[in-house]
Amino acid sequence: MEAAEFFQYVIAGLKSGSIYALVALGFTVVYGSTGIINFAQGEFFMLGGVLAVFFAGLGLPLPLAGIAAVIMTAAIGIAFERVALRPQRSASPIVLIIITIGGSMVFKSLARHLFGPDELTLAEFTPGPSIDVAGVAIERQALWVWGLTVIAVVVLAVLYRKTKLGRAMRASSISHDAARLMGIDTARVVMVSFGIAAALGALAGVAVTPLTQTAWDAGATIGVKGFAAAILGGLGNPVASVIGGLVLGLLESLSVAFVSSTYKDAISLVVLLVVLFVRPQGLFGRARREKV
Amino acid sequence: MKPTKVLALTAAFMLTVACLPVSGCAQDGGSEGETGTGGEGEPYRIGAVLSLTGTYAGLGIPEQRAIDLEVERINADGGINGRELVVIYEDDATDAAKSQAAAVRLIDEEGVLAIIGASGTGQTMAMRSDAERAGVPIVSMAGGSVITADFSEWVFQTPWPNRIVIPFVLEEMAAAGHTTVGLISDTGGYGVDGRDIVLATAADAGVTIVADETFNAGDTDMTSQLTKIRAAEPDAVLIWAAGKEAAIIARNARQLNMEQPLYGGSGIARQEFIDGAGEAAEGVRLGTGKILVPEAFGEGTEAYAVATDFIERYEAAYGTPPDIFAGHAYDAIGLIADALERLGSGDVTSEQVRDALEQTSGWVGIDGTFTYSATDHNGLTRDEMVMYVIEDGTWRLDR
Repeated sequence: MEAAEFFQYVIAGLKSGSIYALVALGFTVVYGSTGIINFAQGEFFMLGGVLAVFFAGLGLPLPLAGIAAVIMTAAIGIAFERVALRPQRSASPIVLIIITIGGSMVFKSLARHLFGPDELTLAEFTPGPSIDVAGVAIERQALWVWGLTVIAVVVLAVLYRKTKLGRAMRASSISHDAARLMGIDTARVVMVSFGIAAALGALAGVAVTPLTQTAWDAGATIGVKGFAAAILGGLGNPVASVIGGLVLGLLESLSVAFVSSTYKDAISLVVLLVVLFVRPQGLFGRARREKV
Repeated sequence: MKPTKVLALTAAFMLTVACLPVSGCAQDGGSEGETGTGGEGEPYRIGAVLSLTGTYAGLGIPEQRAIDLEVERINADGGINGRELVVIYEDDATDAAKSQAAAVRLIDEEGVLAIIGASGTGQTMAMRSDAERAGVPIVSMAGGSVITADFSEWVFQTPWPNRIVIPFVLEEMAAAGHTTVGLISDTGGYGVDGRDIVLATAADAGVTIVADETFNAGDTDMTSQLTKIRAAEPDAVLIWAAGKEAAIIARNARQLNMEQPLYGGSGIARQEFIDGAGEAAEGVRLGTGKILVPEAFGEGTEAYAVATDFIERYEAAYGTPPDIFAGHAYDAIGLIADALERLGSGDVTSEQVRDALEQTSGWVGIDGTFTYSATDHNGLTRDEMVMYVIEDGTWRLDR
């Protein structure tokens, strides 16, 4: 295989990988503060895309439509937490998880009724032919996907490390109860983390819709991929989730080159199973012994 | 995190994801159904299983529109043999399990005389065993060869199956000098069926398949598959897919700066392909029926008159011209109406409808002139095929 061809696969892998990474981050943020898996994470991705198309259709310029879609989805995430999850906060995690499943169905049905069953298209942020780097074609939109992913990760890292809110979130993820005893408003932490998770999912949806189109049912597949990426990296660790996403994207793309395109979608499930059996704490997680 | 906890969470997640799309399949269809024998004067009840949502929504929606339009026209003209025609719709969400459940419901609960559907090949095949069990004829609007090649006396088909379209397209490609071809097909019923026929008939058509890639419904990036095809350096790329993913393939090919011309068939003869692919749709060639540019029928012929009348009424009702899928549905409801008319105004059973459908002879529709027989439930030939090229966001006759 020529180098250019190989790097073309790498580019394709990093492109889908960045999207998986953003969705995986959403899973991780919510898991960190609540200990539950948010099944509606894929739906936040879908909402970002369809809302951006909707706002652009109202005549908003593309950047504003994208920002409006992210903010609106974040608001939906926060509202979802307040209305559906908070009243049940003392219930067991399985109850909360089932509520998120219900939420995902509601979001899907609403999107189908409000925006129709057809695929929706969004213009590229900066239209134009792909950039040719030594025989490797790089789409302009892919540069946007990477740029926005990097910005999101940096902002999240600063938020986690430098702000009071971030410290509160980290404390909550270590021990919810201890954090509350220390005077941290854990209810607020949970609410904010749903907002952040929704914004991350929506950002991925906005960034990738010009390449892939979107529709009311776009969330399910990406939800599985993002979850697999989060597990691969180690649930609860933001940096590891990002790496997990990129690795998963690369594995998928290279599997087409070296195995067969038939198995591309099975890769994420195989990865998920292998990780769970061989290294359940994820590639970067630290094994924790249960003390009796 | 505790490994067991992760395992449990994962299991829960996977179970939910796996169960959601098939929740409709829980419907039980055990009992032997009453097949509609609507008495004199009562309406004729026909079922329709369409993909109104999911990846084939672009097929099911125009199909429903065409059926609505025809039923309205027939009933406004006094119905068939003085009886009203009623169509009961079911959405299969492009899911074979749901189409089967829908067929069971239509047969056992609605007591329909015949079923129109499904929109997709896999969805049609899923309905077969129940139709055979209950003895209810199906008129499918899907283009997989298997629907009528794997013969069932209960299943009819209105579109040109892959076994007619593919050799036509491949020979057109060879005639244009494209003798090495890279194939990309979906793993759904239509794509698998098409891939088998492409591989079986390529040599006869004078082309060599140098790359053979697949993708799954719902995939959003086919850059990797196209990179592999590009490396095989074919003269042209053939897309055999019926879903919305074809538009992404065309965009990906352009983004990879691929210079090979793109070809396709009936599966991409839809406005959504042109809208979704945008600029990348320009210059794509496809072989399918004549409805897209009715002049292809030849002005003055009966087929031309039928097509232009339908196009006019469809455009007046919906503000957009009909596509090939609307044509498939026009033919499906038209063939059933024709069969019912020949049966006269007395009591009718679904067996009689099947027999009458099989006796269809020289019925002029949109997809062609249908003559069914005891061994041919498609009744069309290659004469109904024509080659288009997409220019300025619309179809033009090629050459």
